[in-house]
Amino acid sequence: MSEVESRIPLGIDREVSRRNFLKTAAWTGAAFSAMGIGGFGVAVRRAEAQGEYKTYEGLGDAAILQFAYLLELLEGTFYAEGVEAGLFKDAFLEQIVAIRDHEMAHADALAATLGDLGAEVPATPQFTFPPGTFGDAATFLELAATFEPVGIGAYQGAAPALQSKDILAAAISIHNAECQHRCAINILNLINPPNDLAFEVALPLEDVQAAVEPFGITG
Amino acid sequence: MENHTINVPGAQEFARPRSRRDFFKSLAVAGAGATAASMLLSGKASAQTDDVDIANFALTLEYLEADFYARALDAGVLSGDALGVVENLASHEAQHVDALVGLIESVGATPVEKPTLTFPTDAFSSQASILDLAATFEPVGVGAYLGAAPLISSPDILAAAGSIEGVEGEHVVAINMLLGVVPYANEAFPKALTLDEVSAAVAPFLGGKMLSTGGPQLSPMEAYRLGHL
Repeated sequence: MSEVESRIPLGIDREVSRRNFLKTAAWTGAAFSAMGIGGFGVAVRRAEAQGEYKTYEGLGDAAILQFAYLLELLEGTFYAEGVEAGLFKDAFLEQIVAIRDHEMAHADALAATLGDLGAEVPATPQFTFPPGTFGDAATFLELAATFEPVGIGAYQGAAPALQSKDILAAAISIHNAECQHRCAINILNLINPPNDLAFEVALPLEDVQAAVEPFGITG
Repeated sequence: MENHTINVPGAQEFARPRSRRDFFKSLAVAGAGATAASMLLSGKASAQTDDVDIANFALTLEYLEADFYARALDAGVLSGDALGVVENLASHEAQHVDALVGLIESVGATPVEKPTLTFPTDAFSSQASILDLAATFEPVGVGAYLGAAPLISSPDILAAAGSIEGVEGEHVVAINMLLGVVPYANEAFPKALTLDEVSAAVAPFLGGKMLSTGGPQLSPMEAYRLGHL
């Protein structure tokens, strides 16, 4: 048993986890797998421009922030429900609570910036999650591991398309927090070493939209 | 479970190095990149060369990190989870070096040479000393990318920087795990650093030259000169 495993305060049934994840994956459709998230082969070439940002060009800063706001609400709601469901304790709980609070703080910052821009803050959608998402820690964490790369990919893809450098500075700070979350979720998923990517992956707008549509973001 | 208290900053507050000029002012004083400084002083800086200067500065930081982790592995004092994490850290930073060299060459510019690096004598004597130093390097890497990115003109170079910036954030989390810091990811808004702050942090490893003018504490003459660049 590795040091990481020995620190785990709750037993996670990996077999149940795998089964539930397959159900979850089926429910959300092929969106995540089609993006190749978590796969190798992105390696060094990722530091060369892939042009994902071009899919965000023309939206304008306000529309990008409105979309980001909805993503943060989705993530914040997901983690809040995970905490409410009582799936975690000790270090795991502390981490999930911290991520929940980060996502909500991101949403607040984005809403405030939208206000500064004189743009509308979107209404909170009715989010839906796959059946069983909050039934056990392993299922929850598997979904968390698919959410974080979507948030990362969205910010990373959109950042070069932002007009305002101040908004860009905020967006990349949030991007960095999302990357930190990805690594933290890896730790909770017992992935060791948890820092398993040399280059973060940007996603084109349509991939992000396809990934979050099943959860209730249709904007 | 108590909520963490998080101050939500406005977008304005993120933009700490407020302009290219602020960024390069400190670069010129610090002598962080002789090429960048001399170009600025000679008035040849253009959007393109500024981007290259930023990429070269990032390359210097990546050389530092890559060399540090390579030496850490060579020291043979790491084991268990720490060994696996540091193997990946060494691999990632080396890949970042390669990627930045490729990026700089792809726009027809010249990458800086690997600097001569010095580390404290006991830096590699134990796992604890290695992790302590790693815990100081990684937030500096994050802060440097976050501070410099808004100053980049080319969206392609910005996109490349973004793919690396986030990985440095993951490194912070992995090191936190090894040091027993809980929660591992504990920053809602990771902080940007000014070039002065980055320079001051890495100066001891780059021969100390960058500290000679004291970062943001400029003499009146330096402040005058820089104010007229």
